[in-house]
Amino acid sequence: MLQTVPTAHYLILAAVLFCLGMLGVLLRRNALVVFMCIELMLNAANLTFLAFARERGDSVGHLSAFFIIAVAAAEAAVGLAIVIAVFRSRGTVNIEEIQSMKH
Amino acid sequence: MEKLQLFFQTSPVDPTAAGHALWLIIALPLLGALISGVFGKIIGRQNTHLVAVGAVGGSFLMSLLVFWAINDFRSSAGSPFGPISYAVGADFGTWFSAGSFKVTFGLTADHLSGSMLLVITGVGFLIHLYSTGYMSHDAGYWRFFAYLNLFIAAMLTLVLADSLPLLFVGWEGVGLCSYLLIGFWYDDAQKAFAGRKAFITNRIGDFGFLVAAFLTVLVVESITQLPVASLNRAGADGAMVASRYAQGVSARGALSMPVLEETARILPNLLTQEIATGPLKGLAYGTALTIILLLFLLGAAGKSAQIPLYVWLPDAMAGPTPVSALIHAATMVTSGIYLFCRLSYLVVLSPTAMAVIALIGASTALVAALIAFTQTGIKKVLAYSTVSQLGFMFLGIGVGAFWAAFLHVVTHAFFKACLFLGAGSVMHGNADEEDITRLGGVRKEMPVTWATFLIATLAITGIVPLSGFFSKDAILHAAHVNGIAGFEWAGHLAYWLGVVTAAGTSFYMMRLYFLTFEGERAKDAKTPHAHESSPVMTGPLVVLAVLSVVALVHGLPIMHVQRGGTTVTQALMENFLDPVFRTTNDLVAQKQFLVLPKEEHGLLGAYVQAWLIAVVAGALAFFVYRRYLPAVKKLPAALEPLRKFSFNKFYVDEVYTALIVRPLTFVARAAYRLVDAVLIDGVMVRGTAWVTKQTGAVLRYLQTGDAQMYAAVMAVALAGGLVWALMRVMP
Amino acid sequence: MNSIYDSRILNLVIFSPLLVAGLLAFLPKNEKGQIRALTLAGMVLNLLTCLWAWSRFIPSSPVEFQLEYRLAWIDDIGLSYHVGVDGLSMALVLLTGILGPLVVLSSWTFVDERVKEFHLALLVLQTAMLGAVCAVDTLLFFVFFEAMLVPMYLLIGVWGSEERQMAAMKFFLYTMVGSVLMLVALLAVYFLAAPSGLRSFDYSTLYNGLMSANRELAQYLKTNPGGDGAGLSATALALLRFGPWLFLAFALAFAIKVPMFPLHTWLPDAHVQAPVAGSIVLAGVMLKMGTYGFWRFAIPLFPVAARQFQMLLAALAVVGIVYGAFMCLAQRDIKKLIAYSSVSHLGYCMLGMAAFTAEGATGSAYQMLNHGVSTSALFLLFGFLYERRHARLMSDYGGLAKVMPVYAAFFLIVTFSSVAVPGTNGFVGEFLVLLGSYKSNLPLWMSVVATTAVVLGAAYMLWMVQKVFFGQVTHQENLTLKDLGRREVVAALPFIVLIVVMGLRPQPFLDVLNHSTNRYIARAQYAAGEGPSDDSKVRVLVRPLPKLAVAQASPTPAPSAPSVPAPVQLPARPLRLQPVQPQLQPAQPQPATP
Repeated sequence: MLQTVPTAHYLILAAVLFCLGMLGVLLRRNALVVFMCIELMLNAANLTFLAFARERGDSVGHLSAFFIIAVAAAEAAVGLAIVIAVFRSRGTVNIEEIQSMKH
Repeated sequence: MEKLQLFFQTSPVDPTAAGHALWLIIALPLLGALISGVFGKIIGRQNTHLVAVGAVGGSFLMSLLVFWAINDFRSSAGSPFGPISYAVGADFGTWFSAGSFKVTFGLTADHLSGSMLLVITGVGFLIHLYSTGYMSHDAGYWRFFAYLNLFIAAMLTLVLADSLPLLFVGWEGVGLCSYLLIGFWYDDAQKAFAGRKAFITNRIGDFGFLVAAFLTVLVVESITQLPVASLNRAGADGAMVASRYAQGVSARGALSMPVLEETARILPNLLTQEIATGPLKGLAYGTALTIILLLFLLGAAGKSAQIPLYVWLPDAMAGPTPVSALIHAATMVTSGIYLFCRLSYLVVLSPTAMAVIALIGASTALVAALIAFTQTGIKKVLAYSTVSQLGFMFLGIGVGAFWAAFLHVVTHAFFKACLFLGAGSVMHGNADEEDITRLGGVRKEMPVTWATFLIATLAITGIVPLSGFFSKDAILHAAHVNGIAGFEWAGHLAYWLGVVTAAGTSFYMMRLYFLTFEGERAKDAKTPHAHESSPVMTGPLVVLAVLSVVALVHGLPIMHVQRGGTTVTQALMENFLDPVFRTTNDLVAQKQFLVLPKEEHGLLGAYVQAWLIAVVAGALAFFVYRRYLPAVKKLPAALEPLRKFSFNKFYVDEVYTALIVRPLTFVARAAYRLVDAVLIDGVMVRGTAWVTKQTGAVLRYLQTGDAQMYAAVMAVALAGGLVWALMRVMP
Repeated sequence: MNSIYDSRILNLVIFSPLLVAGLLAFLPKNEKGQIRALTLAGMVLNLLTCLWAWSRFIPSSPVEFQLEYRLAWIDDIGLSYHVGVDGLSMALVLLTGILGPLVVLSSWTFVDERVKEFHLALLVLQTAMLGAVCAVDTLLFFVFFEAMLVPMYLLIGVWGSEERQMAAMKFFLYTMVGSVLMLVALLAVYFLAAPSGLRSFDYSTLYNGLMSANRELAQYLKTNPGGDGAGLSATALALLRFGPWLFLAFALAFAIKVPMFPLHTWLPDAHVQAPVAGSIVLAGVMLKMGTYGFWRFAIPLFPVAARQFQMLLAALAVVGIVYGAFMCLAQRDIKKLIAYSSVSHLGYCMLGMAAFTAEGATGSAYQMLNHGVSTSALFLLFGFLYERRHARLMSDYGGLAKVMPVYAAFFLIVTFSSVAVPGTNGFVGEFLVLLGSYKSNLPLWMSVVATTAVVLGAAYMLWMVQKVFFGQVTHQENLTLKDLGRREVVAALPFIVLIVVMGLRPQPFLDVLNHSTNRYIARAQYAAGEGPSDDSKVRVLVRPLPKLAVAQASPTPAPSAPSVPAPVQLPARPLRLQPVQPQLQPAQPQPATP
């Protein structure tokens, strides 16, 4: 049996990526960066799925990963469109400046 | 005599067939009502008359045949407790049934309901005939005859019904027709109000009736649960009684007359025993029976205008006069008496109920007579006189003289219908003048009306030998000699109240007569000359006047019957109703709650006494209204407050309004404003909405619009949840 | 009972209005006449299917749910499309069917705006109501129960009078509060009644699952009242702890719908603001959903808790009867008066049910039908008047009997039915309810107080009649009012016929209700620990879920045959994420049922 990277390592990596992404989402002010951080979180989830798929030896995880990729692509398309629209109307993509939906 | 008896006892119609045809008697007027009501306007006045009068006339002919059949040797009505002789009847299937309760369309005609049949359809026919003249100018003739026919149908249902729920159909049906007919001229709000008052007052009575009926069901059901041994009675073994009783209840329902009669036969031994099962547990049967009877009395007081519910009847005179004659004198108002005659076997088992009935009757009679003294409306006087006479009938029921009370029903139907129709005729001939102080001297101008009115007046005052004398005297005689066990004082009190009322009756009736027919024509009369009514109106008057005389034969003590070795003399009516009251008489003999006189009192002395009372009071009226008042023109000042008090009907209506109607309306309004609008809708419903809104108003400040803060909260919450979950799994 | 159609009649009954609604959607908006005619035709068609179902219904049959049809729906949670009728629901189906065409006729000229949407709403409402009374699956019932809200909300909110928004919102929120709680309770029952894998929302599963636990609990409580439930089975223990709460959740939902005092304040507003069609449907059928819910769900599922709350239910019913009558005495608005009279009349329904006697239950069921006829008729007739005058206060009228004699005659007859004069339908129901209440274990004074409504009912109804119809005509504009036209007579006449027929020949209807009543009482008694422990009389027997997607017209199981408890008939399948395929493939083998 070949020596392989243990699943736990993948998971740790995924957790780190996820946390990085989350912190980015929570802390950064630029909408584009926030957006990229979300992609990071999604990919962390993808990594987890694939790690478990390898562990279990079936393809359900791959299925989910593909699914997520598709969703992420769609999301990116919609999200970027929104960002562009916001930039056109407000001239900024700074999140702090576009808080119009409040009380 | 033998031959005559034989003739009456061989009916041309087979009694069984007559029993099965009973529904036709009801159906005919019902059909008449339908035709007059729906097509009356299309087919025209004459045809409507033909239909309406024809329907009642046909009903009368059939009633005659049925009456004949009842008297037949062979007549017998089926019942779960063996055939009832001198009755015909049939069961026309189930009306409704649920659980162990059942009501059937059972109709029975016996001597009691048979006599009522004749009175209702006979007097009804005459009054229909009269109405064709009286209502000849009214545009709503089709409505009138539809209601009148419907009334006849309902009244016939009431008397033919073989069970209390079916009787209640008629009971409410007549109330309904009375409502419609009192408010016949509905564009007068006063008249419509009188109709409503009548219906609602009747409904208060019906409340009593219903509660009584429900309690009766409970009693009957508790009897079916009794151990067999407690049902033993003379001549019948408990097991047999129990099984027959259970069969009877399941076949005809707990509220059917045969079951009630059997209940009365079972009850004497149970009166002091406590009810063991059901919701009435712990109550003695006797007490339950008394409560039931008193509730029935409330029902009867509503329908038959007794204290405390008599107030509707005088107002009911707002209806057309034929209606007053038919419904509010001859038939509907006597249904309370009919009910108690039907339930006589239960009445004689409760001395308390008997005493209350007698006292209520006697005091109603007196109060109504006192009010009648000063009334000026011709129909108002007659209305109070009706209330008073109904009181007499209840007095008769209370002292156990059921036949006498019923005889008074019959004779009263004749003479009071005659009086009302006579009053209608007077009004018709005097431009609808109702006030007797503005009439007078009508005698010469309306001879037929005068003569018939006089005969009827003499009949009601109790002048020998008219029918009213015999019936009223029979009641007073019974009140005098019969004793209610434990309540002898009530019997005596009722008797003396009755005697005073009899004198009063004579006084106010003669007053009415003198003011209307004798003397000079009043100066402020509406028309200078009265005109006699058409033959179609006077015809019924003559027939009724003749009947008021002829009916006296019922009261003659001419029947000699063997009773326990001695020969007893009975009045014709008493003898005739004997089959109906057989159980009642047995129970009286068994329980002795009603103490009958040991030896026969001489009737002659009582006759003379009654006659004297009537004559003296009548003479007094003559003196006061023909001699004294025309001379002095004015009542002595000392009597004026009394007159006013009586004229305003003792302010009973005002008291009821102040004590019952106003508070109820006030409570309703207050509850609506306070409970519904403020408490429930305001505090609870709108309060909930308010709290929600306020909470939202506070919480909305959490909505900062900062997406990152939302995400942070979400993340913290998720992390917190995760930590909590982990701590749960890993100790 | 073996015609292939029998198992499908109910589908026709329920969905024929929806079908017509589908057709209606294609009609152009401004073809108002065509829209009305098509809706009327659809409603008549619907009535015919209802009559067909009525004719195929066998009152004497011991089968509880007849004309049954069952189809797998969402198998994983045990939800099936399962319809069937017992006596009570059959009667309610007929009532709904009869009201359908009359509702359309009643608003023929009344509604002239958004005609298409109005009639669509009516048809959808008809489907929802019929579905709710026919549903044997509780979740299906809930779906239909909620589906009723939307069209009714629109009817009130769009075509109502001046305050319609408020009334519609109040109606909607009130009802939603109850139904949300009911949904929670329903889920709890779902988990309680059967072990995992056998769970189903079917009435049979829920009832049969709780049946023996209820009896166990009742017998336990008899010996140790107030005990903590030691030694009880898990289900019985759960019922001891949560049964009262679950019952209250169900009861609240239905009590709002009935409506029982003190949850009734939405009704006057809704009735006053609703258009005539809305009022008729609301009074005629929708309020019955409350009483029907008590009858079918709240009381049989939690008989022990129902017994515990019997006094409360009965007391609220009696208060409702008297209070409703008092409210009527304080009204000036005719529609409000009729609405409050509904509160009073439905109090009788609840009293009869809470009495737990055969007479009371029969009377209650009959009173549901009576109220549906009489009160709908009152609203219908008043709708005609409102259409002419657009005034609701009694003081706006007076002396109408002279101007509109035919109308007055109709109104009077209906009034007498509402007052329960013997010979009309109202009497039979009230009499039986009161009799049942007297015979029950409720205190006598309660029944006596309920009886006083006999007087109050006459007082307020006749007061209103006098104000509106008698006396002189006081308003100039009333002098020219037209009497009923031909269409209006056609719409009102069936009510009169029903009033008389149901008053004089109630027995055929009572026969239909009879088995339902007996079961209702038997279930209450069984669960109260009375009578034999043999549960064959109370167990709900339904047809098993068909193996294939299409139900075979197999005969309903005869109860004489050895019965199989319904829960077992649902194949045990673990809840796993997997494609929902098997039902769709005919060849797929299913686990055999024992």
